[in-house]
Amino acid sequence: MKLRLRLLPYFYVFMVMFFLYAPLVIMILMGLNRSPLYTLPIKLDLVWYRDLFHNQRLLSAGLNSILLGIAVAVTATVLGTLAAWVLARHKFRGKSLLQTLLIPPIAIPWLIIAVALLLLFFWIKVPRGLFAMYLGHVGVALPYVILLLSARFQGTDPALEEAARSLGASPLVTFLRITFPLILPGIIGALLFTFTISFDNFVISHFLAPPGVSTLPVEIYSAIRKGFTPEINAISSIIFLFSATLILISSRRIEFV
Amino acid sequence: MSFIRKNLTRFLLLLPSYSWLLFAVLIPLLIMLVFSFLSDTPLGSRDVYATLKNYQTYFSLGFYWVLTSKSILTAVYTTFICLLIAYPMAYAIARRLPGRWKAALFMLVIVPLWSNTLVRLYSWAIVLRDGGVLEYALKSIGLPIQNLSILYSYPAVIIGLVHGYLPYMVLTIYVVLDRLDDSLLEAAASLGANPWQRFLRVTVPLSLPGVIAGVIMTFIPVMGSFIEPRLLGGKEGTMIGTVIEDQFVQLFNWPLGAAIAFLLLLMVLVMLTAMGLFVRRLNRTSIGGTE
Amino acid sequence: MKFQKLSFTSILILMAAMLLISCGKATQTIEASINQGNDNQIGGVLRVLNWQGYGSDESFALDEFGKMYGVKVEHDYITSEEEMLTKLRTSPGVYDVLLPNLAYLPIAVQEGLLEPIDTSMLENWNDLLSRFKDLDDIRSNGQVYGVPWTWGATAMVYNTEVYPDGIDSMQVFWDPNYAGQIAWWDSYEDTMALVGIAMGDPDPYHPKDLNAVKQKMMELMPQVKTLWASEDEFDKLFANKDISLGVFWSGSASRAATVMGLPMKFVIPKEGAIAWIDTWAIAKDAPNREAAYRWIDYMISSGFYIRWDTEVGAPAPTTQSSIDALPADAFNRAVMGDPQVISRLVWMQTVSAEDRQQWNQIWEEVKAAQ
Repeated sequence: MKLRLRLLPYFYVFMVMFFLYAPLVIMILMGLNRSPLYTLPIKLDLVWYRDLFHNQRLLSAGLNSILLGIAVAVTATVLGTLAAWVLARHKFRGKSLLQTLLIPPIAIPWLIIAVALLLLFFWIKVPRGLFAMYLGHVGVALPYVILLLSARFQGTDPALEEAARSLGASPLVTFLRITFPLILPGIIGALLFTFTISFDNFVISHFLAPPGVSTLPVEIYSAIRKGFTPEINAISSIIFLFSATLILISSRRIEFV
Repeated sequence: MSFIRKNLTRFLLLLPSYSWLLFAVLIPLLIMLVFSFLSDTPLGSRDVYATLKNYQTYFSLGFYWVLTSKSILTAVYTTFICLLIAYPMAYAIARRLPGRWKAALFMLVIVPLWSNTLVRLYSWAIVLRDGGVLEYALKSIGLPIQNLSILYSYPAVIIGLVHGYLPYMVLTIYVVLDRLDDSLLEAAASLGANPWQRFLRVTVPLSLPGVIAGVIMTFIPVMGSFIEPRLLGGKEGTMIGTVIEDQFVQLFNWPLGAAIAFLLLLMVLVMLTAMGLFVRRLNRTSIGGTE
Repeated sequence: MKFQKLSFTSILILMAAMLLISCGKATQTIEASINQGNDNQIGGVLRVLNWQGYGSDESFALDEFGKMYGVKVEHDYITSEEEMLTKLRTSPGVYDVLLPNLAYLPIAVQEGLLEPIDTSMLENWNDLLSRFKDLDDIRSNGQVYGVPWTWGATAMVYNTEVYPDGIDSMQVFWDPNYAGQIAWWDSYEDTMALVGIAMGDPDPYHPKDLNAVKQKMMELMPQVKTLWASEDEFDKLFANKDISLGVFWSGSASRAATVMGLPMKFVIPKEGAIAWIDTWAIAKDAPNREAAYRWIDYMISSGFYIRWDTEVGAPAPTTQSSIDALPADAFNRAVMGDPQVISRLVWMQTVSAEDRQQWNQIWEEVKAAQ
């Protein structure tokens, strides 16, 4: 009985992961299925991977999405963490206002922000392109970082930092040796979040993408209307397998304190 | 640190984030707020004047409220189910699984969201449709299922939404549960609290910031969602988010779309204030409040 | 140490990927420069605004046109007619050519988004069938703004294996015997017109009793299994036998039958159906006007059309030589060329913004009640 109870958490985690990954398994299988219409039974074929290799547009869109996502993740996490630290650790006038200002970017459908950005950039002559998308993505990702890291900061005891300072450590050293390891899961969580927000962001990218330059979700969505081949499954499968492997390898090196 | 230095540091640390927010989000939103009071999108060839007509339209069309309440209800279901599944998941990973698995699982939880939404939802359609994978699986373990009829109905929408927001909820709660101070739990135990009491009176309140953050990040976007409802809900998949989208994509009525969006924002702020008051009451009745 | 190795490897992989992609781009440039000897070289870039997978972005077309004129063709895709207009409104001077639906062309002209087209500069202009060449709606103030390219109908399709006796009337959509087998097109505009046609309204684009139409839509919904918003979605529903009957486009139906091998039959019911025309237009301040004219000429040429129709499947053409080049029993020639059929068609009309707003609200209301 005790053994079964001890296995319960493992079983539960497995079930939830199964739920999270089930559609992905389907996605990978459909990328290997000859039928372009997802008909069962599955006939294994690499035709979509071959087509993908020739699909310049989709490949560069995929690469754009990845690079953009990394840039957005790093920027938003760094800036957001700094802001979160102030909001979590200090009391000052205007704090509630600053916290409330985080809500509109999350509450208002991104479509509204996207259209408004299109107009704003048009008026101030910022050209449509990956840089414009970068500006927009970081903007909408920041509130998530601040919320997440604030929660993390609230869970860590400021006494540890104060102790370090009282022992003579400079603010920088305190941050690197004490604070940073304490909030590491929060930082990684924020990086993953914001990468996801940027990588899967269709709406803002769609409005700010110029002709000839695209990101993966934009390509996929515009294919909706008249032609959606499983090359899309193929590229998503490649990205998924690559990132899952990367994560599995790198997680060995990361120690959560 | 002196007073000025202290405030200067705070200011400098807040400046990059908030000026970015100002420029890339808040000012555009302000522009759209102004638009919501206009009679037409000021880019076409029509004359434009100030009016409350868009807001009036929202209140005059009964079915807008039907759709809004449907969206709110969907958000409630989704957030509740996500919380129900995510809390034990985060707890298990943070406090029950061995160290070398923690980091890997933590990161693997969000990877499913790196398959783009459309592909993911189409894959769900394959699982949930009649004659699809789910039906096949249930039949093969002997259940007498005929015509599951999940796809193109409301439950399918909830499944898709839960799937899309669960990772965020797990991550946010994990990030707080991970730092739970065992000594507090030991202290409670030595005061005579049983495991259930320790959980309710110590663990839960301390994890509240994460729970609240997760709820905010799930509930609010789900209220405005339209793609999951459309792809998985079939003809039952219309929400207020669909109406907003229509104004921008099918029509050229940005003012109306903006007005509805800002009304949604207002509702959200009201709900958050109510939740904030509730949480403050909760904090006063537990050990170790974080305020 | 391991971490450094890891980041090093990932950087290597990223660089390899970028190398692959730039190799692809390099070969394209080399090919382009090899053609420099050709006399007709215009050079530069042509920016096209169109639906994805709608003929103009076929790789053979991009190659052929690129070789003929040394022009690199870039596409920007749209997912609705309104979006096409919005892209023009918010990005002036960016696009060269676009494909507006004839019903939306007057709006674009009125807003000053298009340039008049000098038809004398088009070699294939006189190849257009007179019923397209002489259309009023492509003209404003005596000047032509749109060149008709394809046309088709939005009507019914059914699965010949499920309904071997055939279907010829729209009333089946309201017949309980067919409930749960129907996929309906999620468009407020077309739904309004189709339901009007089914009700026998002689002027479906100016409905007199909106409540009656709304009621008819409400009666339709319980019969419908799901709504579709893209050709691909409908194909998948049909292929997986989720549905066997629905509203679909003629060109898409021919693609589904020939290229996908689906048992799909397209029929223009006796009540009638909607017909539409897509036209090529030149955006105001087009950066590469010369290439724009050559492009339109190429698009309406029978050479392009026949290859497109044979390899992929296309809606009906607007030029005489394209029709002549089609086999006599081809759908686009036999069915779409039949005057009997054409007389039952209701041509799509420009609907005012107010009307569209109202129709959209009716459709939303019907959907909200489900």
